[in-house]
Amino acid sequence: MTAILDSPVVARPGGGKNRARTRDRGLIVFALPSVIWYLVFTIGPLAAMFIVAFMDWAGLAAPAKLNGTENVSRLLDDDRVLTALKNTGVHLAVSLPVIMVGAFMLGYFLNLKLPGHRVLRVIMFVPALISLSAMGMLFVAVLGPTGLVNSALEQVGLGEHATAWLADPTWAMPSLILVTIWSGLGFTGILFAARLSAIDDEIYAAAELDGANHWQKMWRVAYPICRDYFGVLTMLQYLWTLFGSAGMVLLLTRGGPGEATSTLAWLVYRFGFRSPEVGYSQTIGLVLFVLGIVGLVIIRRVFRARY
Amino acid sequence: MAVATTTTVDKEPARSVVRTPRRRKRPSRFTPGLVGSYALVLVYAATLVLPLYWLFISAFKSQLDAVDAPFAPTFSSGFDNLTRVWDLLNLGDAMLNSLYITAASLAVTLVIAIPAAYALARSQGWIATLFERIYAMGFLIPGFAALVPTLLLAIQLDLFHTREFMILYLPASAQPLAVILLTQFMRTVPKELEESATIDGAGRFRVLRSIYLPLTMPGIATISILNFISFWNDYLYTLVIVGANAKVRTVQVALPTLQGNQGITDYALVCAGTLISVLPVFLVYAVLNRRMESALVQGALKG
Repeated sequence: MTAILDSPVVARPGGGKNRARTRDRGLIVFALPSVIWYLVFTIGPLAAMFIVAFMDWAGLAAPAKLNGTENVSRLLDDDRVLTALKNTGVHLAVSLPVIMVGAFMLGYFLNLKLPGHRVLRVIMFVPALISLSAMGMLFVAVLGPTGLVNSALEQVGLGEHATAWLADPTWAMPSLILVTIWSGLGFTGILFAARLSAIDDEIYAAAELDGANHWQKMWRVAYPICRDYFGVLTMLQYLWTLFGSAGMVLLLTRGGPGEATSTLAWLVYRFGFRSPEVGYSQTIGLVLFVLGIVGLVIIRRVFRARY
Repeated sequence: MAVATTTTVDKEPARSVVRTPRRRKRPSRFTPGLVGSYALVLVYAATLVLPLYWLFISAFKSQLDAVDAPFAPTFSSGFDNLTRVWDLLNLGDAMLNSLYITAASLAVTLVIAIPAAYALARSQGWIATLFERIYAMGFLIPGFAALVPTLLLAIQLDLFHTREFMILYLPASAQPLAVILLTQFMRTVPKELEESATIDGAGRFRVLRSIYLPLTMPGIATISILNFISFWNDYLYTLVIVGANAKVRTVQVALPTLQGNQGITDYALVCAGTLISVLPVFLVYAVLNRRMESALVQGALKG
């Protein structure tokens, strides 16, 4: 096809065969601004993290010098890091399975197209539209001492259970987890619904002939089909929860009360800006990065297609 | 919402005409399990709607009413809270700053991503493959990972505490998704169109502008919507790099300053501020809802 189309070009003055042959080659220049831009402003800083992590750097204005593995050995003895690691573990271990399993079931449910599913779909989109700061302020207000939750408890006569949810050592972490689930469940459910709608109705019909109920159709039919998509979304949700907790913690609890909601991502932020130890902050960032990669590899293995 | 319902409604009849068995199983459709799940979904939907309802009505109440009658839409203070928070946080300037950063970043994103997508869609060499790999990997790297080093870069460039650095940074962070999505759109353009244009003497820029651009408009709309949301909503980077100085801060940075060290004291004010901050995105959503939904779904699907 190309050969046929190219031949007239030869006859054209100025055009020439050369140009036709190298049509692809020069084209890549068009991609350079984008790639260079991306490397300078995104990959560059990421690479710099690996150097800063091994520096003694008190504050942004202070001088910096390399100090070998000092930060790493300090990190291994730091109780705050250990606590944060534990908190991150709890945060992920509860919210990730709930979001993924719940969202998958929600997606299946939405895809049944029962009466009202359009309205429900619109509602589920809400968390995807709200900014982090609006979500944070909303929940600071909802969970505050005279906020929505406590007002509601008061109204139904359970006023004695009211507490400042985000400042209560027992309730701060559960609150953070609930907000994470709240913000992740609906949108992920919509994504699953989009994927599930690509499954042919005939497959479900066949399962129904064999007497399968919704539960079986969901986990025995639909799940194996979109297993790898389930894996991809799990990866994204994992990364989002692992790294994204910093902003949420900053707005809701600032790691408190005590260190009840101090996650690793929060420590990166805290040491970066609130009590500046830039080098150390990046050492923790490195741990976070490694956890991210390890998690991705594990999730990939678990959800690898089995056929 | 009304617009959205009609689009699905006209799909339904076509399907039920084709598949008669569907109608037969209808009586047994609502099993106890399904009713239970419906109830659970409604509970979750209520947790999404109720806070927003509360936010909305609280924004128009006096502080006293917000505590005494939390669920009644009293409208007792009219627009007082809204004007008060608008002046207090200087939201007029903040809106303009948000708009400036969002619009300029969006323009830069498109200007560099469109030619790149064209190049990646049509080149065969190993460089193109490498670039595509870089973007595919980059899609997975969370922005937060490089927050502190990016700040250091801003200081190095003498752009710390400026909005301009965000206009450099945000388009870079948007490149992986924008280029990957657009490349897929560009690949659907028939090669023959380009070839015949080239024969007629069109240069590459001309081909890009007159053939690819009009044919990939849906893709460009998709990445514009996605990036509008993420740029407008960006919080942590803007907070750290632009800072909370009232002259340059964005809406997202201004809003949390309502929360002092003692937490919130005036709930009605916070609700009014939050309402104002979410309004622009919700307004755009109201106009473009179908398109926005498919954009958000596509944006995540390409992971």
